[in-house]
Amino acid sequence: MSSFARKVKKIKELSPSIQVSEEKGCIVLRGEADSWDTIVKAGRLAVDRKKYYGVINDIRLKGFTQKVKLPAEQDSLYDGAKPDVLIIGGGLTGCAAARELSRYNLDIMLVEKGADVAAGQSSRNGGAVHVGINYSPSSQKNYYNHRGNAMYTKLSKELDFPFERTGHLMLIGAAWEKILIQILLLNARRLNIRGARYLTRQELLKVEPYAPSWAYGALYMPTGGFTSPYKVNVALAENAVTNGVKICLNTAVTGMETKGGKIQAVKTNRGTIYPKIVINASGVYADVIADMAGDRTFTIHPRKGTDIILDKKVGKYIRTTEVKSPITVLGNGKKLHSSERVKMIKFALSHENTSKGIAVIHTVDKNMILGPDVQEIPDREDTTTDRESTNRILTEQMKVAEKVSPADVIAYFAGVRSPTYEEDFQVRKGIFCKNILEAAGIQSPGATAAPAIGRQLAIWTVKYLRETQKVEKNPNFNPIRKGTPHLSEMSEEERNELIKKNPDYGEIVCRCEEVSKGEILDVLNSPLPVYTLDAVKRRCRPGMGRCQGGFCSPLVVQILAEARGCSVDEIKKSGKNSDILLGSTKEALK
Amino acid sequence: MIYDVTVIGGGPAGLAAALQADKEGAKVLLIEREQRLGGILKQCIHDGFGLVTFGERLSGPEYCERFIDQILDSGVERKLLTFVTKIVKTDNGFLIYYVNRSGASHIRTKTIVLATGCRERTAKQVFIHGTRPSGIFTAGTAQHYVNLMGKMPARRCVILGSGDIGLIMARRLTLEGAEVLGVYEIKPTPSGLTRNIQQCLRDFDIPLYLSHTVTRVFGDERLTAVEVMKVDQHMQPIPGTEEIIECDSLILSVGLIPENELAESLHVPIDRKTKGPVCDQQYMTETEGVYCAGNALHVNDLVDYVTENALAAGKNSAHYEKKERVRIPVEAGSDISYVVPERLDLKEPLEHVTVYFRAAKEMKNVNLMIRIGDNVIFKKRYSVVRPPEMERLNIDFSEFSLQKNQKVEFFLEKESSEGREHE
Repeated sequence: MSSFARKVKKIKELSPSIQVSEEKGCIVLRGEADSWDTIVKAGRLAVDRKKYYGVINDIRLKGFTQKVKLPAEQDSLYDGAKPDVLIIGGGLTGCAAARELSRYNLDIMLVEKGADVAAGQSSRNGGAVHVGINYSPSSQKNYYNHRGNAMYTKLSKELDFPFERTGHLMLIGAAWEKILIQILLLNARRLNIRGARYLTRQELLKVEPYAPSWAYGALYMPTGGFTSPYKVNVALAENAVTNGVKICLNTAVTGMETKGGKIQAVKTNRGTIYPKIVINASGVYADVIADMAGDRTFTIHPRKGTDIILDKKVGKYIRTTEVKSPITVLGNGKKLHSSERVKMIKFALSHENTSKGIAVIHTVDKNMILGPDVQEIPDREDTTTDRESTNRILTEQMKVAEKVSPADVIAYFAGVRSPTYEEDFQVRKGIFCKNILEAAGIQSPGATAAPAIGRQLAIWTVKYLRETQKVEKNPNFNPIRKGTPHLSEMSEEERNELIKKNPDYGEIVCRCEEVSKGEILDVLNSPLPVYTLDAVKRRCRPGMGRCQGGFCSPLVVQILAEARGCSVDEIKKSGKNSDILLGSTKEALK
Repeated sequence: MIYDVTVIGGGPAGLAAALQADKEGAKVLLIEREQRLGGILKQCIHDGFGLVTFGERLSGPEYCERFIDQILDSGVERKLLTFVTKIVKTDNGFLIYYVNRSGASHIRTKTIVLATGCRERTAKQVFIHGTRPSGIFTAGTAQHYVNLMGKMPARRCVILGSGDIGLIMARRLTLEGAEVLGVYEIKPTPSGLTRNIQQCLRDFDIPLYLSHTVTRVFGDERLTAVEVMKVDQHMQPIPGTEEIIECDSLILSVGLIPENELAESLHVPIDRKTKGPVCDQQYMTETEGVYCAGNALHVNDLVDYVTENALAAGKNSAHYEKKERVRIPVEAGSDISYVVPERLDLKEPLEHVTVYFRAAKEMKNVNLMIRIGDNVIFKKRYSVVRPPEMERLNIDFSEFSLQKNQKVEFFLEKESSEGREHE
């Protein structure tokens, strides 16, 4: 039996109504199923990394249609634009590509359907800069993660975003589990990951004084770090704008015109754009956008994860990130049979193990994050949270962060990852379309990899454009972006000096995070000002703290209105329809 | 220059404490983070304040104005729009670091009165799930928009929690033409004062649903609906009781938490029940020279009690001297949720000790008992006690010849001929 026939057989066993075919180098699944689980299983069964470009899983889920959240704006603001490059998606990948391309004299446009950059998974993750110790040497994840990780130190200096290389930890609970660490250390050597080593419990306590009582030892990976993913995203975007990139928010791609294997026009809610080349960095919709260009060879299957943010009061209990090894079973005194051990290790190292596990994460803002969990869902934009997930994460992670209680929770959020069934990045030139570059399947470790992916996309773009035009370096390119100051981290003298120059720095608006009016105004004077509560909150933190904006949001609304010269009624939380205020008092009585 | 007393917070507690400390002859500094004195009372335009203190029904702004007027005539130095960033203990007092529009600086003080008030619990702290739309406000934030800015945060709203600010806002929004669809309370009994249930809900035909909670919110941009569910006796939602209510806003009145981040930075021990610092009958915390007053100490129902306790804290801070302390615990026994003060300092006067306590549940015909060792030294009958209504007592502890190693315990006992009976 051929490998294709074997696959068909397995998939038919799952659900006889699914049709399987080989088309244009892809394996294609069609039909309808009752459960999302079946569809995901079928997609996984179809994977053959060597034989096919990828899995196109078009099995419909009965009763489900994807509701695409589109911006409320409908105008012709960008109609007729003819940029050299059009980047679709203002997440980390798109903005990293934009910034890299701004090193050249090019007309670059970036469209983002959200009301701000970092609207999707780029803002909805824990901010770990990954080590990548468990990747296969031939994977794109390994290639870009390794390079991206190495770029972070310099990038954080150039773009003035927070980054700490404190190392990551994987904890084990028993001596036998050292086997997994030994295997991973061998892989680390293969992948040229430096400094990784085994720590005994005594050594572990020096790195992480509040390590859980059950921790027998740990794998320590000093190249791991932390950043604030949306601050990186904003920094990349601002620097790109400074260097000439046009970022168009609230702009969604709704279709494309192609001719002869080339994109001619890209339709948006704000007019039709005529780019020479398109970069697809559209996250959870990457397959939909690729399909518009006739270049789809993969399927994004949304994978939700929830993270819980804890008060800064407990932030001191984590300095790095601690994750329980996938083979550590807690509270289970019985000895595992050796065959079970082998099975667990195999699973831990396989592609099936799609998650690095729920972790306890230090943040650059000195909070603690617990999460994320893993949930396969049909809806690409379902960022709702639910009681079951948060309860499960809390119960599980309180075993790792033993000092934490549910009363320390200040917020939680969910993000949707965008993996392909191959569980690898798809960073490539167009296969069936000449003028598209795909950056698809970017999920964890996407935040780490994004700078390296952006660089690769820029190289390919310039090469493509040079076939038909001259592309010069941008002589005015400035790699330096200065972030807004964080006065709460300064000494009294430094702070005093700044306040003397600008008294607004001495007026505290957000008490929990100690944010001044001056810092908020700075954010609004940045190269990419976004006059919404959420955008200000992400950039300088008013409302991020334990009162969640209870005290400061009316003040921030007033500052925004004043700075923009509009009524407070016009200030939104995020998108056009996310009103905060519904008119004046007495109005309804008139 | 060194201040005798620095009061942090210019709400009702801070105003009273600063004023009294000044009257006692101390050199006093009052630090307020907002532009204007008065704290949360500025936005409490309803009446009912001052019945105990002044024998009058005043609005919040009127009540605090009486203190502000006196402050302006007093020797109290004021720093407004000034934010305390850090407190450092020194050998003979404290360094208080602050920022304001003039710069970043610090002052020295012998004592501190923490009058930092409280904050509201948020939607996330009561584990509301679903989307993250606009239109979800705490009652105090909604009150700020309506009363200080003249803006409507809601047209058609659901209120979660029957805390007093939620009840007040139900009435306020109704008066401004908004539709209040109902107040949902997870507990089987209301959280707010009985008079507010009557005057804010019943008088306006606003329904109160007990043993119900909001479990989910809907809407991608602005809130479009909430899901409410009935809860069982453990306050867990009962599957199958889901009901979707279309509304544009959800207003939360689900509890207040004393703001004690400054206290915690000084390692002042915090009472797990009150969430305020553990204090003695002088309102001094377990840290020498640090006093606490008002809602930072424990959440009061009435501003009059805030004033009372703050006047005492202000007076005591003015007469502070470092000395040996002999503190014995005052404990909340059966059916009492908390007692303030949590300590008695046997080296300080014990004649007129004001004690505040709350019952852990609603009980009828009960005796409050105070026990030292095996001896019941005090008994008072209440026809009803309810958790939302704080009780206040004045007790002369001097006649019991209290010793160190002893403890004082408050407990409630159902009235019966057969001595103590516990459920």
